[in-house]
Amino acid sequence: MKIRSITLDNVRRFTDPVGIREIGDGLNVLCEPNEQGKSTLFDAIQALFFKPHGSRDKEVTALRPHAGGAPEVTIEVETEGGRFTVTKRWLQKPAATVHRDGTLVAQADAAEAWIADLLGGDAGGPSGLIWVRQGMTDLTGGSTREQKVALEARRDLMSSVGEEVEAMTGGRRMDTALARCREELAGYVTKTGRPYANGPWRIALDRVEELTARRDGLAATAEDLHSALAERKRARRDLRDLEDPEAARDRRQKLEAARATNAAAERHAEELDSEARKVDMARLEADNARNRLEGFREAQAEKTKAAKDAEAAETEARVRKAALDKEREARDTAERNLEIALNTLKKAREAHNLALRAKAARDGEDRRRELETRITNAEKARSSMEKAAAAARSGPDARTLNRVESLAVAHATAIAARNATATQVIAHYSEGREGAIRTDDSTLAGGQPVPLPRATRLTIEGVGELEVRPGDAGHDDSSVEAAAVALRKALDGIGADDLEAARASAAARTAAERREGEAKAVLNSVAPEGIDPLREALAKIPQVDEDADAPDPEVAEDALEDALAAYEEARIARDTASERLSDARNEATRAKTTLTSLRERLKRAEDALTKFGTSTEDELASKSGRAAQALEAAGTIHAEKASNAPDLAGTEAALNRAMSVEQGARDEIARLKPLLARLEERISRSSGDAVEERLAETEQELEAAKATLARIGHEVKVLFRLEKALEAARTEARERYFTPIARELKPLLHLLWPEAELTWGEESLLPDALIRDGQEEPINILSGGTQEQVALLVRLAFARMLAAAGRVAPVILDDALVFTDDDRIERMFDALHRQAGDLQIIVLTCRQRAFRDLGGKALRLAAPEKMEADN
Amino acid sequence: MTFRFIHSSDLHIGRKFANIPEPADGNIRGRLMEARHGAIDRLAGAARDRGAGHVLLAGDTFDTATPSATVIRQALAAMAEAPDVTWWLLPGNHDNLRDAEPLWEAICRDAPDNVMALTDAAPHDLGGAATLLPCPVAFRSGASDPSEPLVTMASDEGRMRIGLAHGGVTDFTESGDAIAPDRDRSARLDYLALGDWHGRMAVSDRVQYSGTPEQDRFKHGRRGVCLCVELEGPGAAPRVEEIETGAFLWTEVDLPLHPRQDAAAALAKALPPEGRRDIMMRVAVTGWAGLPDRTDLERAADRYAPDFAHFELVTGALGTHYETADLDEIDRGGALRLAANMLKDDAESDALSPGDREVAADALARLYAYVREASE
Repeated sequence: MKIRSITLDNVRRFTDPVGIREIGDGLNVLCEPNEQGKSTLFDAIQALFFKPHGSRDKEVTALRPHAGGAPEVTIEVETEGGRFTVTKRWLQKPAATVHRDGTLVAQADAAEAWIADLLGGDAGGPSGLIWVRQGMTDLTGGSTREQKVALEARRDLMSSVGEEVEAMTGGRRMDTALARCREELAGYVTKTGRPYANGPWRIALDRVEELTARRDGLAATAEDLHSALAERKRARRDLRDLEDPEAARDRRQKLEAARATNAAAERHAEELDSEARKVDMARLEADNARNRLEGFREAQAEKTKAAKDAEAAETEARVRKAALDKEREARDTAERNLEIALNTLKKAREAHNLALRAKAARDGEDRRRELETRITNAEKARSSMEKAAAAARSGPDARTLNRVESLAVAHATAIAARNATATQVIAHYSEGREGAIRTDDSTLAGGQPVPLPRATRLTIEGVGELEVRPGDAGHDDSSVEAAAVALRKALDGIGADDLEAARASAAARTAAERREGEAKAVLNSVAPEGIDPLREALAKIPQVDEDADAPDPEVAEDALEDALAAYEEARIARDTASERLSDARNEATRAKTTLTSLRERLKRAEDALTKFGTSTEDELASKSGRAAQALEAAGTIHAEKASNAPDLAGTEAALNRAMSVEQGARDEIARLKPLLARLEERISRSSGDAVEERLAETEQELEAAKATLARIGHEVKVLFRLEKALEAARTEARERYFTPIARELKPLLHLLWPEAELTWGEESLLPDALIRDGQEEPINILSGGTQEQVALLVRLAFARMLAAAGRVAPVILDDALVFTDDDRIERMFDALHRQAGDLQIIVLTCRQRAFRDLGGKALRLAAPEKMEADN
Repeated sequence: MTFRFIHSSDLHIGRKFANIPEPADGNIRGRLMEARHGAIDRLAGAARDRGAGHVLLAGDTFDTATPSATVIRQALAAMAEAPDVTWWLLPGNHDNLRDAEPLWEAICRDAPDNVMALTDAAPHDLGGAATLLPCPVAFRSGASDPSEPLVTMASDEGRMRIGLAHGGVTDFTESGDAIAPDRDRSARLDYLALGDWHGRMAVSDRVQYSGTPEQDRFKHGRRGVCLCVELEGPGAAPRVEEIETGAFLWTEVDLPLHPRQDAAAALAKALPPEGRRDIMMRVAVTGWAGLPDRTDLERAADRYAPDFAHFELVTGALGTHYETADLDEIDRGGALRLAANMLKDDAESDALSPGDREVAADALARLYAYVREASE
């Protein structure tokens, strides 16, 4: 489609018809000052294409002039089908018509449909995509509806450019399909893919779980019922067997027989016990008779032996008593010898002590003398050291002397310096007149220069006085005086009159220091720990008077050792005698005790014999023989009885078993009857609850629930798979969209920024950022000029792609370049011309000077008659 | 000396049919249950119509071992309401003696005089010249031929011997519990009335399965019947007449399709034209169908389903034939076509499991349906 002419009637300020004619291919420029109706023209074009003739919305009413009336717009378009005139009138007698060569092609709704078809469906057409309204120079501006329309248009473009031939509206259909898929999926699952809490999938899962649990419970109950039935069958059979009368009679007969057999066995056992007791009694009597005979014989033997042993013990006691007396005497003798040795030892010890004290007194006197000498020498050394130290402190040390020496040198140097510049006089005496010239205090030497630093009067003998004044050159004595003051001060500080005295004083100090060191060495040698410890040691030496009669220490010590040896020998002898006495005493005691014991034993033996009275040994032997014969007879009778005895344990076991069988039968019957009652109740309850019937029903329900769950699970899988396929396809389609648009944009971008690229938003399908010189800059932070330039280039690219897809549409730009500077605007003009090669571009602008160099075909807005005249 | 009786089996009274989907406003399960109970009355009617004094039920009269008291008592009451007929109830595997002991105790205790519980393998006099030789099933799964006692079961000389047993004649499980097909000869029977198989089958002239009087599965394709058996005397060949007793027809039809066939029309043609309210319908679709045919088929099935007592469309064996025109209908290009192509590739990929292929095929069909729905 290309627009060839536009006519406005009753549109805002144009109460009379006005329009533009002969709009050409390529670039067309309508350049008018502000308020001349360019935006009105733009809005009129928009309205014709997108506002139904029956619309009364604010955009339509905004077209009406202040004076009122029905806005009417006529546009002549050229398509592959020919040239058509499209007219719309709104608000009053609204109408829409399409004419071709004066023939009405369509009107009213048919005309609207014709227009929609011309724009490629109802997707918003090119307006949002490639038309730029004044003041909406970015890519995302405009009303919400305009943004939505633009996005749909881009999606359409995305869908169609992949194939480059189809202008289909797959984008919206994709959205519809995806939304439908997600809507169904949302009925089953949450956004994280889990079953939705109250959704059919969750309900089916819960249902299967609930039925499984119920089925398991019923199966367990059914199993319990089967088990109860089996147990009841066993119990009934057992009870029937137990209560059978014949069986009961048989049990009773067996029990009676066992009881009779056991009673006979018990009686025989009692008789056997009686015979056994008789045997025991006979054995007891025989044992007693034999024991009595043996006791008699033992008592007699004991009495004889005890008498003999007592006699031998008496002899032994006498011998031991004599030995005891002898040992006691020997011990007394040893005691006396020990006492004598002890006295001798005491005397020797006293003599020895006396000798030791005398020796100590002699040793203390030598020590005192030595200490006194050391103290004297030490005090002398300390005195010398103190004197030398005092002398050392009176003179300057080396550092002080060096300072004085330096000051003296400085003083001399100052004098020399002063003299070097001072007025000098040299006396050349006449023969015999030497010394005739004098200064105040000395004779002026002849032949040598004498400096005169200050005014000086020279007395010339016989002549008078000659005053010499140095003049203005001056001879500054301040340095000399300062040096002299410093030197004097230093000398006064050490108490010296002059440098020599200072040096002598320093030498004296050095000598005193040496003497102090020597005295200190002597003191350290004599009293290394000081003099006081020496004095303390001296005070500790006792004053002992020497005994002139004291024995020689060595002799006294020998005597003491001898006395000690004698004492030790006596003591050992006494101890030995004491031990022997003790042994003898023990032996005597033991012999006496043995004698007493034997006498008691003899008495007991005699008492034992009296128990037998007058019986003799022969009489006791005869009684024992008779008792042995009686025992043998009783044993014979018992053995015969035992050989015929029945098995009592066996008869008792048989009886116990018979009783157990009878009791067991009674117990079992007692157990089975209540058991049967319980089982009956259990069976009645379970069968009454129709457990098998409910189990069968539950299993069928579970089968159906599982089928439902499987169906829903499959449905969810299908929906997920479809969603995944749709998303993947859309992503791939986007790639197909971005690739050609990037290719289309590249040369346009490079007109402004060589090597620049754009990145694209997945959802908006618009540029995200501009990459220049490797730097990525989001579109929304770019300058207004750059944003409008990018927006215009992108629209030009869209337009080219639409054209390639068979949807040729004019590009209408209403002051699209507001912020662009002169340099860039030139390159934007190049871009417009580049795209205008196969597109129709209509530029509306008020910037007459700036757009003077745009070129293209100039358009004019004029009344129809004027337009006709111009043409 | 003609002796006439009704032979039936497998009434499975009390069966709940909980696996049959119940429409929100429907009552198919109740209707099916009621139909099974109603079989008693229809059997009694058949007996009266044919002049038969006995109805021999060859096992599985009740669906479970412990039916509810309501089920038991109402069944016995229904039998009592036909006092001119004697009902002979044989325990089958569902209501076997061991598991269903309380049931048989209840029947023995509460049954009317014209109802006889055959809980022992012992002869019973059927009056006139016939002796009934029953073989009650002791366990749900036995390991021996349940009809074996017939060989040694005595009867008076000169009377017709009629055996009554429950079990299969083919030992599918190789457990050894199949009934010998020649049991009529080995046990000198004039007729052996068998139960267990829900379909009608004549093993031989004298060995017959009546099948259930009210069907409960799609296997047999006809309404349930009972048999009216007529014996002229010992050794005479029995005359057997099938009498339809079923209220519901359980039927499954095959619907083979091929591409570009009008699937909806084919379905309409395959469906019975009348009596649909009492028909349990299953349509097993096979062959190939294109995306639109498949969608049309499912829509047609949704349309017809409410006519029937129950309707199932089984499409597991139906392959989808993808034609370019069908995919073009989704979109000729762009993202939608891309998605359609991806799903088609997956649906036909040998590298994917059958399950994943089925998911992809269904996803493609769904996409087709969405697009078509949006365009309508």
